[in-house]
Amino acid sequence: MSFDLPSSLTKPGESLDADALASPPKLRKSRGYWADVWRRFRRNPTAMIALCYVILLSLVAILAPVIVGTKPIVAKYKGQLYFPFIGYLIPSWEDPLLIKIELRGRYSPQQMKKKDPESWALYPLVFQDPTRRVRKGEWPNQPGNPFGDQGKPSGYNFLGTDDLGYDVFAQLVHGTRLALLVGFVSTSIAAAIGITLGALAGYFGGWVDVVISRLIEVMLCVPTLVLILALLAVVDRATVWHTMVVIGLTSWTSIARLMRAEFLKLKTVEYVAAAKAIGATQTRVMFRHILPNALAPVLVPITFGIATAILIENSLSFLGFGSQRPNASWGTLLSSAQKNLEMWWLVVFPGIAIFTTVLAYNLVGEGLQEATDPRLRESAK
Amino acid sequence: MLSYLVRRFLLAVLTLFIVTLIVYGLIRFMPGTPLTMAQAAMDPSRKLSAEDVKLLEQAYGLDKPWYVAYFYWMGNVLQGDLGKSFKERRAVTEVIFTRMGPTLLLSGTSLLLTYLISVPIGLFSTVYSGKLIERGVSVVLYFLYSLPSYVAAMLLLYVFYFRLRDTVWQLKPGMVSDGFSLLSLHRQVMDVGWHLILPLFCLTYGSLAYYSRFVKANMEEAIRQDYIRTARAKGVGPVGVIWHHAFRNTLIPFVTLLGLSLPAVLGGAIILEQIFSWPGMGTLFFSSITDRDYPVIMGLTLMYSVLTLAGQLLADVLYAVVDPRVTYS
Repeated sequence: MSFDLPSSLTKPGESLDADALASPPKLRKSRGYWADVWRRFRRNPTAMIALCYVILLSLVAILAPVIVGTKPIVAKYKGQLYFPFIGYLIPSWEDPLLIKIELRGRYSPQQMKKKDPESWALYPLVFQDPTRRVRKGEWPNQPGNPFGDQGKPSGYNFLGTDDLGYDVFAQLVHGTRLALLVGFVSTSIAAAIGITLGALAGYFGGWVDVVISRLIEVMLCVPTLVLILALLAVVDRATVWHTMVVIGLTSWTSIARLMRAEFLKLKTVEYVAAAKAIGATQTRVMFRHILPNALAPVLVPITFGIATAILIENSLSFLGFGSQRPNASWGTLLSSAQKNLEMWWLVVFPGIAIFTTVLAYNLVGEGLQEATDPRLRESAK
Repeated sequence: MLSYLVRRFLLAVLTLFIVTLIVYGLIRFMPGTPLTMAQAAMDPSRKLSAEDVKLLEQAYGLDKPWYVAYFYWMGNVLQGDLGKSFKERRAVTEVIFTRMGPTLLLSGTSLLLTYLISVPIGLFSTVYSGKLIERGVSVVLYFLYSLPSYVAAMLLLYVFYFRLRDTVWQLKPGMVSDGFSLLSLHRQVMDVGWHLILPLFCLTYGSLAYYSRFVKANMEEAIRQDYIRTARAKGVGPVGVIWHHAFRNTLIPFVTLLGLSLPAVLGGAIILEQIFSWPGMGTLFFSSITDRDYPVIMGLTLMYSVLTLAGQLLADVLYAVVDPRVTYS
């Protein structure tokens, strides 16, 4: 059952020890709703594996400049400490004087030693770059990256290189950041819009509901990809951030509909009437009393929405409308295989990356659905 | 029922008005017009003179502000005229009509296949629910569901159009081979059929998981009902129980799904058609946006919105037809 009894009551056989008899049974604080959901979620091995994978991906996204790159993590150069790897995350933070004048952005050990014999640097695990082709002589004994259709996976390029000679492994690892960011930002925008509009429509009803429901229907009637392409074209030089905003602006309808239904249901519940009776304001009733109780069912479409957002971004990149090099997303790599069909590694590895990420988010969503759905909960016990 | 239909119809008209107004405004705000796009692709020595551009702009209503031009467009639509395509210089209805066949062939066949395969899978999963084989099937289906169709399409493209090229697979992407019109009817059908296989596979496999899970979820609910127990108690065999007693009662949500899939059937799959060079609505949609072919974009949007609204209405009406408990009054 969904409510929790103190364990001393549920298992009478075990509670008959001296302690329990001596003192009146202590009422344990009943588990909160989210703790309960988490307990159910944890029991689902597939969902847990998927969640671990998502966490692993986040780690890869954060640590990408440490895993693969040509910019040292720490470098001592002419008596000063530098952290050039930051340039992969925020390009303007990379020390401009050092890049432009002294080293021209190339931190190869030989070049640094030539200019300053005292210098040292700590490099990422793999010396490859997602934004350019690594040339011969940059790293001791490492040949230049092959380009054209020659870049089969090799010891120096684990997953091969693309037609321009950029390392595929480096692009995939650095692309993780973009993929997760897209999922996070777009879905946050979609959730914010969807929850607000759905809550307003469900709570106030009347003409507010009519207007918002019409808006939802309008959104459903415009083909999503057309809307996205048109909006992106309007911005002219679309960046990744534009793409994220546009995806967010076009994918809030399912969340809004669910939220509206929840609010419709919850606004007639006793505790809402009680809150109103003691004089709570409408905003307070909406946000403090109803919203927390309506959030659980919305969490499921939000998780699925992350998977969809990543899919959409990659398909936009695939069509040539999303991120461009040097900020390649997985879809950009995949689309570069279109012209070079013989380069199977440009299909297989980005394909695996997209597939596993989407699968993981879907499985987490599935697990959440099972953990939060009261009907499934009843039957599970 | 009639007053309900009238109200729905009026709301649909309102929605259509808003949708077309928004899309019309959006495409007019996109940088570049069909004329500049066409000129950029043209031979520089044959550039249009300034007067010609003026004339063309007038003819297509580009000289007016977008909200004025929109009402001109709407007026023409109400008279049954969707305008002429900039690029193909033919009526929009004609352009759309030639693309409708290939898309219908692809998505219609896909939808049919999906139903034919997913219903048995769904029933099978209900019967063997919780068994090892059922779990295996559902895992495979779920993996397929999460595999984006363009990834699968690219893999198939590599395997068939590169690896197996010149051996067993001698086709080029597209719907027909070169010299198609010279073939006999039988050969023509075979040719299209061969070209259809790969895009059809990519379009179908993903929805299999969705539909069969849908069937299973509804069946799970149905077989818990009292009338199933009654049927079993009367001695109805397992096949009879599943097919006649349980499945027939799950048809109602199925009908809704059918109505909602209507726009997808005619709207086409933009990316898949693009990858396989399938000359359908999806490719038309894509190229009309990149070419800024306003009349075609508007025509397609109108068609898509009408289909979406009609699908929703159809679903609701069919709901009342198949379930006598549902009335709209």
